[in-house]
Amino acid sequence: MTMTEQLDPAALQQRVRALESQAKEAQRAIDDLKSRDALKTQFLSNISHDLRTPLAAIITHAEILREGMLGELTPKQRDSVTGIVSGGQQLLDMIDEILTYVRTASDQVNLARSEFNITELVDQVRLLNQALAARKRLTIERLNGDNLPPIYADRDKIKHVLANLIGNAIKFTPEGGRVWVSFSRRGKKEDELVVEVGDNGRGIARDHFELVFREFAQVDASPSRPHHGTGLGLAIARKLVELHSGRIWVESELGKGSRFFFTLPLDIPRDQ
Amino acid sequence: MKTRILIVEDSPLVTDAFSVLFTEAGYDVDVAATVADAVERGSEKPVDVMLLDLSLPDGDGLEIMEALRQRACLPRATLAMTGHSDAKSRRSCLEAGCADVLVKPVPISELLRQIERHLA
Repeated sequence: MTMTEQLDPAALQQRVRALESQAKEAQRAIDDLKSRDALKTQFLSNISHDLRTPLAAIITHAEILREGMLGELTPKQRDSVTGIVSGGQQLLDMIDEILTYVRTASDQVNLARSEFNITELVDQVRLLNQALAARKRLTIERLNGDNLPPIYADRDKIKHVLANLIGNAIKFTPEGGRVWVSFSRRGKKEDELVVEVGDNGRGIARDHFELVFREFAQVDASPSRPHHGTGLGLAIARKLVELHSGRIWVESELGKGSRFFFTLPLDIPRDQ
Repeated sequence: MKTRILIVEDSPLVTDAFSVLFTEAGYDVDVAATVADAVERGSEKPVDVMLLDLSLPDGDGLEIMEALRQRACLPRATLAMTGHSDAKSRRSCLEAGCADVLVKPVPISELLRQIERHLA
């Protein structure tokens, strides 16, 4: 563009009009995408809810059979019915994960903050996972944290994050391995708490450090992959940590294990 | 006389499963799929335990509590059943007079135990 063209008022006006119309078009495209995204979210929410009801009925019927309420079962029949219950339960957990994701993704989540002791919460989640870990002869240790001050956060949401990270660690660590949780403090006033959930499992390649937090992403997405799931767990965890103004990341080496970290502010606002 | 249980739930799949469960467990079972239906059945004959789904086609399950209270027909114990556990909906159930709030699906052994506990 030459100087003369720049100063020509008619050309300038034309250029402004063109830009204005482009901006309008871009805005229309954004609005369209937003409404499509809202539709998708609504669809996921409805379908998850509608899948839940018949599944709950299937599980209840199977439990009635398993408990022998309709007559005693042979051991083989009982095993088979137990398979229906656990398969149904697994499916239900996945549906619940989709529902949680939909709620967090559409910002329908309000934090209900309170003061609580995070070490107690970690111990609670460890206890809940004890049976699962024992089946793989894994240990889940809490390495420190006895003297941490209380944190001010949404207890249920932080529990969800811990359950997800510890659950993943158990899932991706071979028999006889180790899973641990440890705490550290950082920042000028030591006002940031860093929670680490580590394992000595198979690890994650550096290229995938970001990918694992993306929704629907799985490092191994092939149909024959050994670990199935919705691929939403870490995306939900990230969203829940970010709602608390924290960060979440992973450090890992293939074959040696993974260490997932998330931060939470330690200062308790006194005016709330 | 048998303990009477009223299942308030709009999904026939779920009420069918519960009907089998509670009949086999020795209860007298009645079913309602709407707020209006539940209020009618709840005021007809005294109910010992009401299992209450919160979202019904014609309104909020907790409206039933208020209507039955006005008719002085509140069941001995009402157990609310919700799809997800959040502190707010739990509080509103307890404030409305529910004895407890259970997150669906409740394992049947747990459900039977809770009912026994609230009848004791």
